Amino acid sequence: MTCEELVHYLSAYIDHELDAELSRDAQEHLATCQRCQVVLNTTQRLILLGHDQRRYVVSGALRENLYRRIEQSLYHKPAGQG
Amino acid sequence: MLDDTKLLAGLRQRDPQAFTQFFDANVDRVYRLALGMLGQRADAEEVVQATFLSAFEAIGRFEPHAQLSTWLYRIAYNHALMLLRRRHPEEPLPDDSESLPLPATLVDWSTLPEDQLLSEEVHETLFAAISSLPERLRAAFVLRDIETLSTAECAHVQGISESACKVRLHRARLLLRERLSQYFREQVAEEAL
Repeated sequence: MTCEELVHYLSAYIDHELDAELSRDAQEHLATCQRCQVVLNTTQRLILLGHDQRRYVVSGALRENLYRRIEQSLYHKPAGQG
Repeated sequence: MLDDTKLLAGLRQRDPQAFTQFFDANVDRVYRLALGMLGQRADAEEVVQATFLSAFEAIGRFEPHAQLSTWLYRIAYNHALMLLRRRHPEEPLPDDSESLPLPATLVDWSTLPEDQLLSEEVHETLFAAISSLPERLRAAFVLRDIETLSTAECAHVQGISESACKVRLHRARLLLRERLSQYFREQVAEEAL
């Protein structure tokens, strides 16, 4: 497998969607190619960083504000009347 | 806490308790998707509001066998897309068959300490990078790699095939990897000193 092919199959490799033969080819290439190993490591870390973003939630004041705005529209209450 | 059946029935009857529960369970995921797609907090707030109002109007047509959260993502995605069209009506849609962006920045930042990787600044850098991606690629990354939807769910939300969804996700990851590698390059150099 070449570097270009590794990049082409990178997400499928990470997501375990490659068939056994291609997966083995990718592993063999990665074992001997430092550059592709870096691309793999950093892409996997990017995905973990992505997962971590779920801890960011809408802050208290904004949450309350959004809730009130939607509630008012939903129940046809004029603004300022609860 | 209402179970799913009672929640759905409550939403259909516009029950305030059901609305509160539905809002609390979903506002974060709708906001993250909208912020990733639009990049602006005010725009993301507008999409959150429009999404919940649309959901309530359409709740009578919701099929109970489907996932409520996936259905809501789809409404949010469509609202975000409409807002993008209003903001940038002239922006051409990139072609999914274009050649892949090849990695150019080869700095291994994956072993930086957790406190450096999980900082508020990195969070903001990542969301800024997501919202600077070509429009079609943004939702693919948010839905798969942040919200951790399956490929099938991700494709359904965007109204595209699973294979198209995989292509978009792969491009998004390569571009984001490149941008974060540029961002972390200096920190890796400092660590090496």
